[in-house]
Amino acid sequence: MSTEVLPDRIALRSGRRARALVQMAAHDLDVLVLGRQANVRYVTGAPQLWVAGTRPFGPTCVLVRETGAIHLLSTWDEGIPDDIPHENLYGISWNPTNTIAALARIDGAATARRVGTDAMSPLFAQLLPMAFPNAELVDGELAMRAARAIKTAEEVAALRSSVAVAEAALAAAVDALTDGVSEQTLTGVLMEAMTAGGVSTPANQDVAWVTSREHPWRRAAGNGRVHSGDLVAFSAGVLAGGYVAEVGRTYPVGSRPGAAGLYRRWDALWEKLAGVCRPGAACSELLSAYGEAGEPLPPVPVAHGLGLGFDPPVVSPQLPDTAAAERLEPGMVLSVTGYVFEPGVGAVFGREAVLITDDGHEVLTTSPFPAGS
Amino acid sequence: MAGLASLSQAVGSIEIPDVPDRARLRRETGTRLRAAMADRGVDALVLLGNNAVTYATGTSWRLGDAGLSHVERPVAVVLADDEWPHLFLPFREGASGETDLPGDHVHGPVYLEFDEGVERFARVLGELIPGNAVIGIDECTGAMRRAQQRLFPGGRPVDAAQVVSAAKVIKTRDELACIRTACRITDEAMVDVQAALAPGIRQMDLSAQFLRHAFELGASASMLEPIWQVMPDSRAAGVWTTHGDLALPLLTTERELMAGDVLWTDVSITYGGYCSDFGRTWITGADPTPRQQAQYRRWREILDAVRGVLRAGVTSGDLARAAIAANGDGTRPWLPHFYLGHGIGVNAAEMPMIGTDLGDEFDNNFVLEPGMVLVLEPVVWEDGTGGYRGEEVVVVTEDGWISLSDYPYAPYGEGP
Repeated sequence: MSTEVLPDRIALRSGRRARALVQMAAHDLDVLVLGRQANVRYVTGAPQLWVAGTRPFGPTCVLVRETGAIHLLSTWDEGIPDDIPHENLYGISWNPTNTIAALARIDGAATARRVGTDAMSPLFAQLLPMAFPNAELVDGELAMRAARAIKTAEEVAALRSSVAVAEAALAAAVDALTDGVSEQTLTGVLMEAMTAGGVSTPANQDVAWVTSREHPWRRAAGNGRVHSGDLVAFSAGVLAGGYVAEVGRTYPVGSRPGAAGLYRRWDALWEKLAGVCRPGAACSELLSAYGEAGEPLPPVPVAHGLGLGFDPPVVSPQLPDTAAAERLEPGMVLSVTGYVFEPGVGAVFGREAVLITDDGHEVLTTSPFPAGS
Repeated sequence: MAGLASLSQAVGSIEIPDVPDRARLRRETGTRLRAAMADRGVDALVLLGNNAVTYATGTSWRLGDAGLSHVERPVAVVLADDEWPHLFLPFREGASGETDLPGDHVHGPVYLEFDEGVERFARVLGELIPGNAVIGIDECTGAMRRAQQRLFPGGRPVDAAQVVSAAKVIKTRDELACIRTACRITDEAMVDVQAALAPGIRQMDLSAQFLRHAFELGASASMLEPIWQVMPDSRAAGVWTTHGDLALPLLTTERELMAGDVLWTDVSITYGGYCSDFGRTWITGADPTPRQQAQYRRWREILDAVRGVLRAGVTSGDLARAAIAANGDGTRPWLPHFYLGHGIGVNAAEMPMIGTDLGDEFDNNFVLEPGMVLVLEPVVWEDGTGGYRGEEVVVVTEDGWISLSDYPYAPYGEGP
């Protein structure tokens, strides 16, 4: 791991930039104005300060298709690749009119016809036309989403590294699982292990919870402590080198009658889900896998893409038409969720990272399931 | 006046309960938000930003990475004539997502990144909001832009960020209790981290210890990757910047700290959706030299000068001028890309920003009121010392301020 703040390696960032430029051409975009962390990292290869949750839209990075030039909001050059020269850095500003003035000076801003942004706010809807006076402002997220959906070989390697950090952190938390330990302590142990492994940026902070025996989805209402007979779910999500890895497992504390049968149901469900993970499959088949296994659909997405964030496809029971229209393709990396519940027993939650290959899939996660389950 | 860690603290008409009453918090912030809507003639708000949803609904959850948060995010709809907000809540596994809202105001998740999700949301919105209503939004996804006519038939939506900002700038008593609890967790977690500071420890090890302690002590979430920036010997020897002054914050790595390294620390966690802030300057395995002590004393003089004028009725400009006067040489004792101070609440940094490129007029027009919370973070620098930076969280009262920070200045000064 690194003792310096370094940009992403050149093969990683140039492969991503090439994909972004192809999609700009396909979507007829002269300029992309990006505010989302994942998109900014994708295009620039520059690590940025991690802050939890969404940030309001603002122009953090500008990519000009004709020249390939990248302009980046950064007051310093640490971690900035040398293909983004000093003159292309504009500093942190609290006054949007100063930011707009910096954008207006970019070569190509004055003549751009179509400018894509990855989100929009009423403020910047008013201000951006001053920087791009001849442009129509359109959605640029579709282009970025198309670029991000298929991973380059270097991205898959980065995701494998991230999975390793998530799995080591998960193992530490599972080791700390004992009768009486609190969910907060398990969270603290996982965060500590993840960070000691070189990554202080979690993908999610809902780490460990006692599954409810009464409600299929809630966490058990209690004092936040684990007791013998509980089924405890772990969700380790890390953001290493910008790439999200997620792994989910459920461990029993002591013994719980009925748990073994529930784990077998999870295995049967997973067999159906894994069977869908091949090129050409409709994403809706991941939804119907639950029905084929005789399990009700969970209220969370059954699968979503992993990359620099939450990538396409997003396969949710709430988006059936979207799922029916999307196909799995080689180079997609999915986080696939299996979830089964039995009243009086609890729930078994498991989440795997799956790479779609040319002829099937590879499960990237290797964390063990509890012995004897 | 500072650092009273008593139960139910009351100073200058500001009362901070020891334990926040979440139902009262939501009720009182809801009243403030609807008043801000009325002031601006806004009939309904559609809020997507995580922090704005927390403010509007009183619901907190453990924030995830932005990449996940864009897709799986709670959405709030606030109507001017309804005391209860509507909440569209993703059911992320394990997320507690507890809320005291009535059942008919809690809805399933909406996926506003996707055309299909926006179509569904538009149908619900059409039933909640009259067609001619003035609607404020804080953000529009691409799919929302494509469906703008159906989502907002009454015309172009107005800026909700300004409405939320106006409401949240003054904190209710229960918000203050949340912020104070977040600060206490942070301060306590830092004690053992500072004790572990020694030559050979990695920056990342400090982060790991902090996160472990903070969660064990009850933190809901880390807001920011912890910062332990090793300061350069001189401005010229530091990282290149657009303005020629110091860079901050630089990211944490696995570098091992060496004896004499001066660290500028910065961490933030949340409790119940409200943020803490922490900043101190530490020295690795060494006591400060007389020149380094002088940096701290100057910093303390600036802090004391600012707190000396701080009370309801003064402006941000008054605070900035007090800091500059105490700095002695007429320069601004804060970094050019940041501020002398900022607000804090559901965001780690929010209005008012004091001493930024928003300009003197902005600062001179911003009048401080009781219940505003400021993080004061002056910076002192002299080449060869590593400088001094610290952050102090204060609540503005009628006749002064209450400190929410309670952490010593070791190895520089004694006591908080």
